[in-house]
This record gives sequence, structure tokens and C-alpha cells, in this order.
Amino acid sequence: MSRAEALFAYVSEHHPRSLRGIQEAREVDPAAWDAVAEQFLGWAAGVWGEDGWQARCIDAFVQFSSDVIMAQARYEADGHYENSSFAECNAHVYSQRDVMDDYLWGVFITNFCWSHHMELSLFFRDRFLARLPGAPQMVEIAPGHGGWGVWALKNRPDARLQGFDISPSSIAIASSIAKSAGVADRVTYTQRNALDLATMPTASADAVICSFLIEHLEDPGLLVANIANLLKPGARAYLAGAITAAQVDHIYEFRRESELVVLCEKHGLRVVETMSVSPKRTLPRARFLPRSMGLVLERRDQP
Amino acid sequence: MSTLDKLNDVFREVFEDDDLTVTRTSSAKDVAGWDSVMHVTLMIAVERAFGVRFKSGNVAGLKNVGELADLVDRMKAGG
Repeated sequence: MSRAEALFAYVSEHHPRSLRGIQEAREVDPAAWDAVAEQFLGWAAGVWGEDGWQARCIDAFVQFSSDVIMAQARYEADGHYENSSFAECNAHVYSQRDVMDDYLWGVFITNFCWSHHMELSLFFRDRFLARLPGAPQMVEIAPGHGGWGVWALKNRPDARLQGFDISPSSIAIASSIAKSAGVADRVTYTQRNALDLATMPTASADAVICSFLIEHLEDPGLLVANIANLLKPGARAYLAGAITAAQVDHIYEFRRESELVVLCEKHGLRVVETMSVSPKRTLPRARFLPRSMGLVLERRDQP
Repeated sequence: MSTLDKLNDVFREVFEDDDLTVTRTSSAKDVAGWDSVMHVTLMIAVERAFGVRFKSGNVAGLKNVGELADLVDRMKAGG
């Protein structure tokens, strides 16, 4: 039985309500899904063992997904995100090791088990990873579980990556996944607030990855400015963000794709490509359409 | 009206099926369309019907209608 088959068998037995969504994710592109799922589940199996990844990762995914849908339902009722303070989220989520461990393994699985995130994963692979320059020195801001940066390192054996995250759980999990994937010798993870990157040397990175951090910040412009600051002239970044998509620790409410585009343009980046995706199914009679947006950006030194 | 009877009314409303009847052992495999999105829709409707407010962590793992009824009863009792 392949790991993908094991995933479906486990979900069918233990979480039947989640089966339909995962089937929809596979239908996006079955061959690509099988490859991405095998890659991610293989890394998870390297961390938790062939008999352990299902209960650890899939249970976390189901819980995380439920939390997200519930947060979206509260958002529909209230008209605004539940929290607005980074300090509050840091105290209740990011600094809580048990909460973050479940959270990060849950997010890790969404990369291919949410249909719209499967679409975004393919955008990341085809429109960003496939176009990296030779021997890229990469920076990942807030790697979380680390899967995106590790994917880049697997894709490019000549690449190196530095990752910075505020959460000790992120450092531990991303390191474990990098080790499982066999790329630990080409990555360093450091616990640091992403907004402190202004202390980094300017124009030092051939590529920057920053996936789903921006909506967690009170001042997203500062992050975008730091991304621009890190990039070498003409170098590219991959940025992903959430739009009218609630989560307990989403505090900056982007309402339109154009807000992300304008923010990037305002801070010295050229928007090269974008992709905005939404779940196949949303809450009945919803007024907000939750979207995830990926942007390929380039440092712009000329108007 | 028992908790189970009242839950049955909520299920009929949410799944728009006046002929739907659930029992304590009814689960997602027995109710067409009871997926993860509809589960949350159902939980919000249950909250309104019973005057309770769930935490997400309490509802994701519910296996069947009986577990949901027990949770509602505990919450109404202040547990």
C-alpha cells in the first residue's frame, strides 16, 4: 500500500467527514497529487515512522481544518477576524509548543489535502521553483513546518537556505523535516522574529520564500519591505497570503487580491505572476469567499 | 423534547431533508453530505438551537450523533 493509499484508508476509517475534501484535492491533478503527497508523506514518515505519521499528521490536519472552518463561520457571523493583535496570537499560539506542533503538522498536510492549496503548491513548483537561478542562496521567512523550503532544496541540489521563524516549534519541526528529506546539510534555521530581518544584509538573497505569514502581522508592509531589502536586484520571491480567510491567528484582513499587489508594488517589488484560489466548497450562503493567493515577485530597482 | 429529537430537527434543517431521521449511532457514513464543511454548518445550527457555544476542539472529533447529544447535554448542564 502506498502512503497515499494509506492516507485514504486512515481517513475513511477515522475521519470520514474529511474524505470528500481530500478526494477533491487529488482531482485537481491526480498524477501531480500522488507525487506531491508521496513527497510530503515520505518526509512525515521519516520523522514519525511508517506506523506513526497517520495518527500524528492526519489527526492534526483534521483538527486544523475544523478550526479553520469554524473560524470562517465565526467570521461570517461577526464580519471581522476574531483577533487583531500579534501579541495576543503570540501568547496563545506561537509560543505554545503543544498548540504549535499540532498546528504546523496540520498546515503541512493542507499543502496537498486542501484542493486550493494543492493548486497553489503546483503554482509554487511550476512558476517559482522551476525558475530559480543557478546555485541559489535562499531565505525562507517564517518557514513554519518548513515544507516549502525543503521542497526547494530537494528540487535544486545546488541551493542553500536560511530560515527564520519566531516559533521554537517551527525550528524543531522544519529541522526534522529537512533531516528526513536529506537536505539538513544545506539549511540553517534560526529562531528570530521575521520583522527583525531589517538587520540582515541587503541584497543578499537569490530567492525568498514567505508563505502565509503576511496575514498574521499587524503591519504587513514592513514584511514586504524586508523581502525587497533581502533580494538581490532582479531576484525573485514567492509570497503567499490569505484573503477573507479566517483563522484564529489571522489578524490582518486582506479583502481583495489588489491589496496584496499594491502593497508589494509600493515596497519595491514587481508582481510577475499571481494565482488566487478558493476551496471547492464553502459555507452555505457565505458572504466571504476565502482565498489563498500566491505571488511571484521580483525586486524592482527601476520604475 | 429530548436532545436527540431536537437534534433531529436541526439535521433536517441543515441538510434540507424533512425525511431525515438520526439516531445516537448515526455518523457521517449514514447522512449524505455530512462532510467537514457541513459539520461546521451543523455545529453552528446546533449552537443556535440549544444556546451553547462550542470550541472547535470539542467538535472536530465527534464520531456520531450520540456523542454530539452528550456534548450538548454537558454544556447545557454547565460542564
